[in-house]
Amino acid sequence: MVNFTVDEIRSLMDNPKNIRNMSVIAHVDHGKSTLTDSLVQRAGIISAKNAGSARFTDTRADEQERGVTIKSTAISLYGQLPDDEDLKDIPIKTEKNDFLVNLIDSPGHVDFSSEVTAALRVTDGALVVVDTIEGVCVQTETVLRQALGERIKPVVIINKVDRALLELQLSKEDLFQNFSRVIESVNVVISTYYDKALGDCQVYPDKGTIAFGSGLHGWAFTVRQFAARYSKKFGVDKNKMMERLWGDSFFNPKTKKWTKVGTHEGQTLERAFNQFCLDPIFRIFDSVMNFKTDDIPKLLEKLEIKLAGDEKDLEGKQLLKVVMRKFLPAADALMEMMILHLPSPATAQKYRMETLYEGPPDDESAIGIRDCDPKGPLMLYVSKMVPTSDKGRFYAFGRVFSGTARSGLKVRIQGPNYVPGKKEDMFIKAIQRTILMMGRYTEPIEDVPAGNILGLVGIDQFLLKSGTLTTSETSHNLKVMKFSVSPVVQRSVEVKNANDLPKLVEGLKRLSKSDPCVLTYINESGEHVVAGAGELHLEICLKDLEEDHAGVPLRVSDPVVQYRETVAGDSSMTALSKSPNKHNRLYVTATPLSEEVAKDIENGKIGPRDDFKARARILADDHGWDVTDARKIWCFGPDTNGANLLVDQTKAVQYLNEIKDSVVSGFQWATKEGPVAEEPMRSVRFNIMDVTLHTDAIHRGGGQIIPTARRVLYAATLLADPGLLEPVFLVEIQVPEQAMGGIYGVLTRRRGHVFEEAQRPGTPLFNIKAYLPVNESFGFNADLRSNTGGQAFPQSVFDHWEVLPGGSVLSKDSQPGKIVEEMRKRKGLKPEVPGYENYYDKL
Amino acid sequence: MASESAPILSTPAEHILEEPTPVTVQSSESRLSEEQLYLQYEIKRTVDEIRNGKWKRIALQFPDDMLVDAPRVFERIRDDLKEARKTASSSQNGNVDNVANDLAKTSLQNGQTSDASDQVEEKLCILGDTSYGACCVDEVAAEHVDAEVVVHYGRSCLSPTARLPVIYVFTTKPLDLDAAVDSFKETYKDLDEKVCLMADIPYSHHLDDLQARLAQEGYKNVFKTSIIRDPASLLPNRTAPTEVQENPEALKEYSIFHIATPPTSLLLILSSRIKAMHIFSTESPQSTALEASTTQLLRRRYALITRLSTVPIFGILINTLSVSNYMSALSHCQDLIRRAGKKSYTFVVGKVNAAKVANFAEIGGWVVIGCWESSLIESKDFFRPIITPFELEVALKGDGERTWGGEWIGDFSALLGKEQNEINGHSHAEAESTTQGDWDDQSDDEPPEFDLRTGRYVSQSRPMGRPSRPAVAENGETTASAPAPASSALVQRAKGDVAAIGGQVSPAAEYLRSKRTWQGLGSDFEISYERDEEGKIRGAAMEEGRSGVAKGYSVGEDASKS
Repeated sequence: MVNFTVDEIRSLMDNPKNIRNMSVIAHVDHGKSTLTDSLVQRAGIISAKNAGSARFTDTRADEQERGVTIKSTAISLYGQLPDDEDLKDIPIKTEKNDFLVNLIDSPGHVDFSSEVTAALRVTDGALVVVDTIEGVCVQTETVLRQALGERIKPVVIINKVDRALLELQLSKEDLFQNFSRVIESVNVVISTYYDKALGDCQVYPDKGTIAFGSGLHGWAFTVRQFAARYSKKFGVDKNKMMERLWGDSFFNPKTKKWTKVGTHEGQTLERAFNQFCLDPIFRIFDSVMNFKTDDIPKLLEKLEIKLAGDEKDLEGKQLLKVVMRKFLPAADALMEMMILHLPSPATAQKYRMETLYEGPPDDESAIGIRDCDPKGPLMLYVSKMVPTSDKGRFYAFGRVFSGTARSGLKVRIQGPNYVPGKKEDMFIKAIQRTILMMGRYTEPIEDVPAGNILGLVGIDQFLLKSGTLTTSETSHNLKVMKFSVSPVVQRSVEVKNANDLPKLVEGLKRLSKSDPCVLTYINESGEHVVAGAGELHLEICLKDLEEDHAGVPLRVSDPVVQYRETVAGDSSMTALSKSPNKHNRLYVTATPLSEEVAKDIENGKIGPRDDFKARARILADDHGWDVTDARKIWCFGPDTNGANLLVDQTKAVQYLNEIKDSVVSGFQWATKEGPVAEEPMRSVRFNIMDVTLHTDAIHRGGGQIIPTARRVLYAATLLADPGLLEPVFLVEIQVPEQAMGGIYGVLTRRRGHVFEEAQRPGTPLFNIKAYLPVNESFGFNADLRSNTGGQAFPQSVFDHWEVLPGGSVLSKDSQPGKIVEEMRKRKGLKPEVPGYENYYDKL
Repeated sequence: MASESAPILSTPAEHILEEPTPVTVQSSESRLSEEQLYLQYEIKRTVDEIRNGKWKRIALQFPDDMLVDAPRVFERIRDDLKEARKTASSSQNGNVDNVANDLAKTSLQNGQTSDASDQVEEKLCILGDTSYGACCVDEVAAEHVDAEVVVHYGRSCLSPTARLPVIYVFTTKPLDLDAAVDSFKETYKDLDEKVCLMADIPYSHHLDDLQARLAQEGYKNVFKTSIIRDPASLLPNRTAPTEVQENPEALKEYSIFHIATPPTSLLLILSSRIKAMHIFSTESPQSTALEASTTQLLRRRYALITRLSTVPIFGILINTLSVSNYMSALSHCQDLIRRAGKKSYTFVVGKVNAAKVANFAEIGGWVVIGCWESSLIESKDFFRPIITPFELEVALKGDGERTWGGEWIGDFSALLGKEQNEINGHSHAEAESTTQGDWDDQSDDEPPEFDLRTGRYVSQSRPMGRPSRPAVAENGETTASAPAPASSALVQRAKGDVAAIGGQVSPAAEYLRSKRTWQGLGSDFEISYERDEEGKIRGAAMEEGRSGVAKGYSVGEDASKS
């Protein structure tokens, strides 16, 4: 355990080249937290208390209990390369051999993906943990994709090698093949999301970007480490040695020569990797686990491992752990890999700037970020809020990209809706204190320069979940994070005792702050709704709400999903509505937006704030829109950024710009509460075909136009074969072959369907991908477990919206019609959907 | 084709008759016989009361659905009054001799005037088309015809009036008593059940019979309410059982058997005070009375309220000019809004409809000051929600204090009484809120507020400053505003400043500046000058224009040519 004073850490912070910010990402249960533990034990800074206790970064009681990480947690480590010579291997010139590694352990369960996103934003590199046996799973792929999207460089550790040896008893060659397969599938994912600016990020053992190890036993190695051992022995250059120690490279002991072919004079040669890297490990395992007590001391001597007195008495697994830990300490391998191959903030911010910053790439803030300049204008991104011991208050957790954050500095706090030059969502406030976040502990620190991760005190009231802090008045926002999960599962809560209502409301506010993804609000029918990414997420949130944030007994409803209203076809005729004074007429048609456009809008690729010409270009080139139409998008809705569009297709209408605001208001209103069941609309494009207006401004005011616009949009929707969209999960299930039948049964019962089924090479495990409506997913996990004897492990993540099948929503007998009727009753509306005649006026 | 025909510039005449607010009952399919008319419109009682009050100018106010009968009622009353006057004068004449002596003793003048006034013919007039709601007395219209009394026909909210005396004629409606009794028996099996009998005003005269019948059936604890004019009473406008008058909690043991569908606001008011309400529908009598459920309705109101708690600008709609105290209610609402740091604008628009209020896009929510029945506007057609003063109070409470237990007050006069206590309470709360830990220092910007309806943060929900500030601002105003006007003709506006008019923060001006894309004629037109190579404006050479009068202009010196 290295102990450091805050001052010493602070001095490390000044040199961005010697900082590594990285997150640990992986599929659930691939061993992130355990691996992190071994790093913390070795190199954790400060906090001698509790050192080495398991799952150091799981700070919550329920995390420890369930053995699953829920929140991402940061920890600072001190790192050193074993040899000063190694500094030369770092791509940029580095002088001091002292490194500050800020590591964020993130949750692996899909439901908490938003935590991963928040962690990735503040880091530059990622340690991807992959299970040797399970290989690349759905969440591995998701987080890798996210990381690459944020321009974060990955290195990989193949974990749980001990299981391959002890449980599966793989041979050396099998293990090698297994490794190759895993690496290949990782590289397939990486190359799919290739980003030119980031360069090639594929990982290779012979480049030292892959480590192999066991987090549980606390050992790991890279090919580079072995290469360093053998390079002296063979008198070969280390880098050359690395290449020889992986892949189709063989050493012929007879000729003492390296070859590329695996046979020599009819005899099979042993692969160099097997011979030089795996062999010692296999021998240790063999002798320790098979209790070959005589061999052990010899072996230890050969490998230069010295055991302490009491350690010599250990046996079996305990001894194995100790020996392996001494032989190949995980911390060394990982530290080396991270320091050598992950970028420093100085390097990373050069290419990350354009993906991070919303404004022009040449303003002072952009340049400050690019250069990681501690003297530039402050640019700080708060990626999440961390609850403090002080109830209801939070630390803002973030990263300084430019400038220096210090206590007492007056900053501009810009929320996600801030538009430069406007007052909205912008506040000026002094930072009260800056702190270091260390797992469960915090340490005050005077100031934090660019490139570092920190916590802030006193600004939590101004930001709900995330936001930008800056000192530059002209600065734009740092890009808002886009999550791979959406809060599609909701439950409503109510207090058991009416007097507790204020506590519930306060609790909902806090809950909303404490989680990057959860959504809390009061719906139209007055229920308090908590919406989360999945059942587990929601369960954790509600538990927090009841026990912590609100602290009052609650009644929780069954989970429900929120639907969206959409149209399936074009309006059968142009809808016409007249204003209340009958002097203005609006003619509108509705037509479905293509799914790609809707997705692009939701992912922020097409947005209301884009330059309209650039936006029109994208719509025309990628989605086949007419350019003139694409340039005349009036607005997005609901909430001015939803996936519905209002397009002006009129020709030469006088006064049209005068009523634009009113029509837009009506559009926002209508898309927020659709005509079918007052659910929000999605993926509808409205075209204004023609407009007739009264010549006097007073007769075409908001009062005449706003209600009319809403009516005409409703009529157009009802004329265009309206339908409901339901959210659909992508479920990935890992299951042994014999239990597959059960899965199909469960899925079919729940309206799900399998679209991909692949056997994992070398294992009896199958990977099944299926779509499952969220509405049918409640209790799916338990159902699946009972039908497969607990052998299937599903991961569900929101994937897309799909039209609810089974007929029109307007007919009472169809399934969607019944759902609509049910919804309308719950909302206190007339059970039947009003006909278009209610909104349509005859000429 | 549509654009070719010129737009019709006048509203078609039939729209006048289209009532935007639904009329409760419409039942004048057949003309009433003279006899029925006489009874239903209580002509005799009306005439007597007018005679007793010695009123000479009388306004008859009919709701729209009774207007058909108005001329006949008018004639009947006029004739009866004439009749009454004649009989009175004849009897008076007959008495003159007897009384003459006494009269002589009393002041002569007095006698003369009373005699004279008695001889003057009463002047009647019909008031149609009420400006706010049929349930309220239209005092302003009555004052236009200089009336001394208003006769109000039809169902009424019985809100106390400010200026004129009112004679209420509720007009009666028939009731199927047997069905009502059966329904009652079906609903309340237990003979000891505590039940209040209540009826919508046109049916209230049936209650006596109903109670008698029920007593025969063996029900012991049936209380019959009778009409009083007190909307703030425990049962609005009705008497409450005696034990309840002493202890309002006792009402919780009572169920209410209500004849005809009550107004929604009554349901809301009573929902927290009574055990249950059962409605006997007069239109489609059913074997059991429907149990009224208000939870859903109350919830929807709650959603509305929470939606409005972060709204920066409120509109106050005056929907009555007759309910007494409406001015103090107005200032109460303005005060509440101001204290919350929000802005209010006051509007009088006559009958409220969607088109009228949607004209003011700046307004985030509306508060209606009206009688207790009509101020609850439950309609989806309004662009922004409309709430009552009571709901406004709840909405403007901090999230830390707001409770919503089902209590609902419709009558604003009940709120006015609470005001004084609350001010005291508020100052306490504020004092507490300022003493926060070392987390915040107060010098900086206002933190945003959490909008409960959307789950997001909203900035500038209090454009006029924090509740604790107004006091300071008012004091500071005199000093601060004094030096300002010196040269405020042209001031550069700092970016992000809130727009101000006359030194006052104006959220509406801010709205115009930041939210509206159309800001009036000329705002979309940019003046572009021709410029020469050096970037200077190249002006055109001056030319002399025409001069003279329209009859014949002259250009330059060439005066002779036009």
